[in-house]
This record gives sequence, C-alpha cells and structure tokens, in this order.
Amino acid sequence: MMELEHSFTIPVSPERAWQVLLDVEQVAPCMPGATVDSVDGDVVTGRIKVKVGPVALTYSGSARFTERDEQARSVTLEASGKETRGSGTASATVRSSLQDEGGQTRVTVHTTMSVTGRPAQFGRGVMTEVGGRIIEKFAANLAAQLAAGGQPASQPGGGQAEAGPAAANGARPRVTAATAASGNGAASAGAGTDGPGELGLPIEELRLPLRAFNSLRREGIHTLGDLSARNEADLLAIANLGPASVKDIKQKMAERGLVLATAGTATVPPAGGAAARTQAEPAAAPPPAARPPDEDAIDLLSVAGFPVLKRALPIAGAVLAVLVLLLSRRRHRRRASARQG
Amino acid sequence: MIPAKFEYTRPGSMADAVSALAGGGDDAKVIAGGQSLLPLLRLRLAFPDLLVDIGRLGELRGVRDEGDTLWIGALTTHDEVMRDPVIRQHCGLLAEATATVADPAVRHRGTIGGSISHADPAGDLPAVTLALDATFLAHGPGGDRVIGAGEFFVDYLTTALAPGEILTGVRVPKLGPGWGYRYEKFNLTAQAWAIVGVAAVARRADGHVAETRIGLTNMGLTPVRAQAAEAAASGAEASTAALRSAAARADEGTQPPSDLQGGSEYRRHLARVLTARALAVAAGV
Repeated sequence: MMELEHSFTIPVSPERAWQVLLDVEQVAPCMPGATVDSVDGDVVTGRIKVKVGPVALTYSGSARFTERDEQARSVTLEASGKETRGSGTASATVRSSLQDEGGQTRVTVHTTMSVTGRPAQFGRGVMTEVGGRIIEKFAANLAAQLAAGGQPASQPGGGQAEAGPAAANGARPRVTAATAASGNGAASAGAGTDGPGELGLPIEELRLPLRAFNSLRREGIHTLGDLSARNEADLLAIANLGPASVKDIKQKMAERGLVLATAGTATVPPAGGAAARTQAEPAAAPPPAARPPDEDAIDLLSVAGFPVLKRALPIAGAVLAVLVLLLSRRRHRRRASARQG
Repeated sequence: MIPAKFEYTRPGSMADAVSALAGGGDDAKVIAGGQSLLPLLRLRLAFPDLLVDIGRLGELRGVRDEGDTLWIGALTTHDEVMRDPVIRQHCGLLAEATATVADPAVRHRGTIGGSISHADPAGDLPAVTLALDATFLAHGPGGDRVIGAGEFFVDYLTTALAPGEILTGVRVPKLGPGWGYRYEKFNLTAQAWAIVGVAAVARRADGHVAETRIGLTNMGLTPVRAQAAEAAASGAEASTAALRSAAARADEGTQPPSDLQGGSEYRRHLARVLTARALAVAAGV
C-alpha cells in the first residue's frame, strides 16, 4: 500500500474544470498505458499496461466514481484490476479536489494504491517509484486535459496522445467495426470462396506465426471474415506486421480460397474504429500510425522524462541474460529448475 | 512454471540477428545465457513474442588485449571472465566480483553482456563497470555505438540500448601500477544477490589516495557511484581513520530500496561499512 499526493494549478475556472473532472470518459484516458474498452454510465472498463524493462504486466478491470461532492468540488475514482496473465491484482483510489485560486484552479490528486501477486515482489522501493511515476504522468495528463477545458486537445504528453485515440476505441465503435468487417468480408471474399462458412472461422485456423497472430488479434481481427475485410495496406499499417507476414497471410488465405480486400474497397480503419468519435469525418483515411491499444504501455523512460529513449526499454532490458535474477526471493525456484535442465 | 508461448530464432550472423530483432518489434528480446530472462519467462513476468538467441555469434566471445584497454566479448561467460589470466592481471576487480556471482552452474551459462544489459541494480557487474569506468559497445540497425558506463544504466532493468541494438562487448581500461581494487559484497547465503555491494578502485601515491572510483550495488534503482565518498577520499591520507571518514559519506545521494532482505537505513549502514573495507583494501592500508 502506498500513498501519493500531487498538486498543480491550471488556468481555467473551477466551474469549468469540475465539468471535465466529472466525465469519466475524459479522465480515464489520462492514465498512461490505459485502454478504455467500454463506458457504461459511471463505470469504465479497460486495461492498463505497465512495462518495466523486460517485465510487462497488463491489468484489466474497471474504474468508477464512488463519491462526488459538488460543494467541496471533490471526486473519488476507484479502480481495480486483475492481471490478465496472472493472479495478481492492483487497485487504486484517486481523490481529486479543486480549489479556487483567483480565477485559476488548484487541483490536488491524492492516490492510494496497492498491488498484490508477483509484481509485489519487486519490493516496496521499486513499486513506490514505478507507481509514483505513473500517477505523476496521470496528474500531468489530467492537468493538460483540464487546461484544455475538456476539448479533445492536442495534448503535450505522449501518454495521453496515445491514450486519446484509445478512448475513442470504445465499446460502441468496436461492435460497429466487427459488424462492418464481417459484412464487408462477405462481399469482398465473394469473388472466389466457398462461402461464408469459412469467414466465420477464427484466424487460429490459418496457423500463422505467433507474432502475426498476436498483432492481428490486437487489431480486433478475430475471424477470417475480419481479415478479408482488410486490404494489404491496412495490414501493413499494423505494428509488427511486415511484408513477409502479409505475404504469408495472403498465401494461407488463398489456400482456403479467400483473398484480402482490394485497396479501394476496405472501409474498416485498422484501429478498429479509431474514427468513432469523429464519425462525421470521412473514414477514408485511417491513421497509418494508429497503434494497437496494447502498445500504449507505460514506459518508465517517458514517464520519467526521457522521451527520446522511449522505445529502448523492452529490448534494452533483455539484451541477454545472466547471473542476476530479477527476483532474489525466487532464487530457489531457479535453482530447482537448473537441476532439471 | 512453463513460459508463455514464444517464437525462437538462433541467427548465424550479427546481420541476421539485428534484422530478426528489427522484425520482432517491441516484443522481441535478445537471449544469451538465459540466466535472467528465462526465470522472468518462467515466472510469467515477461511475455516476448520472439527470442533472438545470439549464442551462435562466436565473434562476441573472448577477451582481447588492446594495449591500454581490454575488450571482453558480451558472450563471454562469467566462468571464463573469472579465470581469464589477462583479466586477472589487468582488471582484477572484474575477476574478483565475477567470482561472487551466483553459483558455478549459473556462471557457466550466464554472460557478462547479459548481466550488464539486464541492468539489475542488485547484480554485481553493473556497479563494477561503473568503478572501472568501462564503456559498452553496441551494434544495431544504425551501426556501432559506444556508450559510457555512466550513461548506460538508465532506470530499473533499463539501459540506454536502443530498440534493436545488441550489446557486443565491454571495454575496460587496464588498471596500471599503483592501482588497487576490492569488491565487498554482503549477502546472507553464498549464492544470493548482494544486499549491498561496493566495488572500489584506488590509486595510491606518496601515502595518499590519489584517485578513487566507487560503484554501489543495490543502493537504488540503478547502480550508482558513491560520489561524495570518492571526493572525500581523493587526496586523503591512506590511513584507516581517513578512509573510514570518507566512507561515512558513501550513502549520500542514494535511495536504497527496502525489501524483505533489509530496510533502506540498513542498506545505508552497509554501504558505509563496506565502502570503508573496500577502500582500505584498494588503497593498500
């Protein structure tokens, strides 16, 4: 359990800031590494990914307002989640309050956080440090969001810039995208297939390399129908999917008599509905830089203020491996396994 | 435990390794001896999609005498490092510290490059490279790069290596005449991590400590230099009392972690005591 307190001022009135603070859809994406899956009233469900060197943890869970005090201008947001690939949990209570400072607003963010499971073995020092940086980044993003008065602003923080489109990638658009995908797939695959039965099959059937498979799944491509709704350029725009993978995909689809959409016909943006918030805008130009939500990981370097080195984290931590194990408390396990090996 | 699914490739050349890494994107990891990464995989704390095994890159193995410096290939195992006559003669601190790493089984698989790029602040070698003022050689899509030890350890388990870069070797200056060294490691069982470790080198002249460098293991999220103690010891008389008073500043500016092995105050105390011991041996008191 740890407690953190941050405070900052923003150049808008408390009345205006209060409106933003109440909108969970605007507040949640300020969390670095967060992906919003759906919003239902006051409850947001989503995921948050934390990356520390080679260690990557993803939590899925929900956040909701538990207290709103209009008089005191304070709100409490409670969030809790479970590790998606483990049994650990994390929870946080974030209490934000506003004070008028002569036209400006002072925002105080008080956070209590607790983490259980394997990550807790990092030791208190590391947890506090990592947690503190995440909250610091959250506070900075929130400050930017509040200062922008809730406009979908061009945010300064990298984390928020990435979290922005992720927020638009919510439940509603995802459903539409899936529907569109299967409809579209039927149309485009109609050219040379033995029917929609194939299109309903999961992409596992293609037996793609794991990396390609994961990349597709991250894009919300789950069935052959989803896949055949995309054109080649859409697939190439997916992170970690290169020409070789796309060629492989095309070949494996061809074995089943399926083809990718042709360039002009695909209308599903690669990010699975990234344009949802701006549906009035022409959907013809899916952002090529759209990243799969999973990649918006918190990255200690950028959080710590070394954005240049940002992408260095994962590989850097791993460049080999040796004597020093990460978790000294687990030493005996490794020794047991060394004996087996 | 069984690791999550991943792909594995073992390229035969550096060029292939770099391109495999580039193709793997963010979720690719380099593996050499596997003594740090495999436990992470087995504990399911890391989920790489692709492991690029650089074990076949023979050119990354071995030790070369370059005149004033030694080049040690990243794939050189701890066992090779601690037994190498050239390292023992010119860079005894590295051999001495490496001999304290884990146990013989780990030392036969684990590599110097892996230990350094894993950047665990509790690992022995990162602090040693700081004390030795080593430089690291990396190769990536953009070519070769040299990174000083002082800039290399960026954060917890995080180094200055760019995505797609592979650590190829370590260059350490030879310790000339007049230099002494010592690695003091405090742990409760022989093969455990250091609760605190202190790596010190010192040059003695005219009964004084002319210069010294001190690296601290497990006294923060990264290995750190004990700068206040270094400044206090430089120029000090090579006597137990003078070095002890310099060592009293060893924990200045550090933020040691608290964990089940000890609180941060305890670690501060250890750092002061071990620094005094290490300096005394290094300065030949």
